[in-house]
Amino acid sequence: MSEEPYVSKIDRRTALTWVGVVGAAVAVGAGVVVYGPKMGGEPSTRGYGTDPKLTKPEPAPWSRIMSHDQLQATAIMADFILPATAGAPSASGLGVPDFIDEWISAPYPDQLKHRPIILDGLNGLFWEAQRRHGLSFLDASPAQRSEVLTDLQTAAATAPQGFFKVFRGLTIGAYYTTAAGFKDIGYIGNVPRTADPGPSDEVKARLEREFAKLGL
Amino acid sequence: MAAKPYDVIIVGSGAGGGMSAYHLTRSGLKVLLIEAGRHYDPATETPMFNTNDQAPLRGVGTPDKPFGFYDATVDGGWQVPNEPYTVAPGSEDFIWWRPRMLGGRTNHWGRIALRFGPLDFKPRSRDGLGYDWPITYDDLAPWYDKTEKLIGVSGAAPARGLMNTPDSPDGCLMACAPPRAFEIFYERAFKAMDVPVIPMHGAVVTGQMEGRNTCLFATPCGRGCAIGANFQSTTVLLPPARATGNLTIRTDALVYEVELDRNGKAKGVNFVDRKTGKHGSATAKAVVLAAGSGETARILLNSKSPRFPDGLANTHGMVGRYLMDSVGVNVTSQFPSLEAMPPTNDDGQGTEHTYIPWWGYEKQKELGFPRGYHIEIGGGRGMPSMSLAGLLPKDDASVGDELRAKLRDRFGSVISFNGRGEMIPNDDCYCELDPTARDKWGIPVLRFHWKWGGSETKQAAHMVSTFLEVTDKLGGKPLSKIERDGRKAISKGGEMIHEVGTARMGASDKDSVVNQFGQSWAVPNLFVTDGAVLVSSPDKNPTLSILALAWRSSDHLATLAKQGAL
Repeated sequence: MSEEPYVSKIDRRTALTWVGVVGAAVAVGAGVVVYGPKMGGEPSTRGYGTDPKLTKPEPAPWSRIMSHDQLQATAIMADFILPATAGAPSASGLGVPDFIDEWISAPYPDQLKHRPIILDGLNGLFWEAQRRHGLSFLDASPAQRSEVLTDLQTAAATAPQGFFKVFRGLTIGAYYTTAAGFKDIGYIGNVPRTADPGPSDEVKARLEREFAKLGL
Repeated sequence: MAAKPYDVIIVGSGAGGGMSAYHLTRSGLKVLLIEAGRHYDPATETPMFNTNDQAPLRGVGTPDKPFGFYDATVDGGWQVPNEPYTVAPGSEDFIWWRPRMLGGRTNHWGRIALRFGPLDFKPRSRDGLGYDWPITYDDLAPWYDKTEKLIGVSGAAPARGLMNTPDSPDGCLMACAPPRAFEIFYERAFKAMDVPVIPMHGAVVTGQMEGRNTCLFATPCGRGCAIGANFQSTTVLLPPARATGNLTIRTDALVYEVELDRNGKAKGVNFVDRKTGKHGSATAKAVVLAAGSGETARILLNSKSPRFPDGLANTHGMVGRYLMDSVGVNVTSQFPSLEAMPPTNDDGQGTEHTYIPWWGYEKQKELGFPRGYHIEIGGGRGMPSMSLAGLLPKDDASVGDELRAKLRDRFGSVISFNGRGEMIPNDDCYCELDPTARDKWGIPVLRFHWKWGGSETKQAAHMVSTFLEVTDKLGGKPLSKIERDGRKAISKGGEMIHEVGTARMGASDKDSVVNQFGQSWAVPNLFVTDGAVLVSSPDKNPTLSILALAWRSSDHLATLAKQGAL
């Protein structure tokens, strides 16, 4: 976990359209969002429509609803799940927190279902840090944050549909759909080829060994 | 448009309409092709090689784009804005997939191109269930040959002579790409069960084909193909039709009515412009309906006249009846034997490289259900998506290096088994006009009635047990909760997007809407060339048969035109 605050990876043009909205949204209940006073225009809750441009997609048109603190906590938790390694960047290094904000802000049913799970869960991190350490989650030390997150992770094994699992699923999906994620997981496709040679001898030999084990 | 003398109006530009336009224009007839959706150009609009991180929500499906952001479908999916449909109270679920674009569903379809077999045309003669077609496999076989050679189909293999699973003659098919690791893997288990695994017939150009580009063995076919290496009406049928100079295309025009002249012959169609709301009409010597089984039935039912008060060609109440879909069941399993495989490019040719044709024709009695299914099997090290975490065990909550290692090991170790089965037509599955609901332009919409029969739900249960048996033989475990009750495991009506049979062909006007050439009994210059004419819905995906039938019917139409008999 980095001590540096998370810097949003969205481009400036997009960011400008969110000014005045960040911090003004409060999630209440099951996916209902009440918008407070705002400086900018009406926050957009429209989807991308039934005929979006596919070859060069526009950024998602809806406004982001995470507060600054929620986005920072998202970055800390995403990096707890996928920290940087010698060969791979951290989740926040790939902009995963912005993506999770985009996801829970979207006006579609699956994402609206996740919205209260994620926002309530993030708020829970703040309450827990306050209760244990008398500090904001963001002001707690890396060790204190890690303690809160590790306890959450331990509990997740028995509560599979809860905040931690949903958040981790989004982090994994967001991370491994990038070029760095492809490299980390060993996806080597999406390149034009003149022919498909099929699996290598090494792969075929490995399959034969597996067949022997399976009695096939 | 009314000023120009057209020989034929074709409604719809997908498989049936595109093939009709291809053959009729090349036969020298002047054709007006009317499409409800917008113009669409695969060469410039296909997101080839785009990655999910370039798309909103990493490309996942939403109500706006149900099969994912990059799916080729324009302005549609399970709902089309301003164009509702209803499901009757008390009916089982039915869902209806429609695009609004030139080329229709051929732009995104699965490209699985299987021939129906001899038994599929004579099901009633075989076991007393369903209905016989007015044609045999041999009547359609030459048109399958021509269609395969025209659209480009892979799957060449030495003739096997498997029952009701036709081998294409030499020269019709190209070779499939070689089986991938997961395909070699599952083949071994099916072989142990005495079940054949054979090359998939896919509408993908996998070899050298004159006038066509070869597959790049990358980027999903469902996005469409910018280089035209798979079959889409927009890349394969409409360009040569245009090149004849005989084709006029009118897009954004939703046809709602066929109009008759004083002699009871079709004189043209009425449509509404979906963008301006203006109504228009066009006339020709013949009308071909190929709007898709549902929409074709809707046009007929909305074409009311003193002679046809219940809808055109509906004197015997046959329009909308015998609506069918395919039975669909999925089981997805994870296999330790496929973990930690050396990285391999498994993108493949778009379709599966191998599949399992139905193997139980001679065992139906002991199996306890009358009709079969084939199995389409997905897997491999495909491009990661938002569902990647789904390959982890349910109770896993790992993070960091442990999580990275688990994902690396399990990537490519998941196989998805999909059964696609025959449905026997029944009296409870049909569409009609909703008594009150209207679309944006005031046109009555379809109301669907659906009920799976016991033949289908028992077959669905068998699919589940087959997939579990294979999973077990291969040392795997299902990833999701297993539903063994066929009534619950079975797909929704319409969900397989193989809805066919609302204006079926037959031997007499008493029990069918059209004859063996798609020519309506009631109005001799009115033809149907889409899936509406199908009499049965075999397990084989319908598109190749729709294409072959449309070609055969169009050839008959062209012959009549030459004889001045329209």
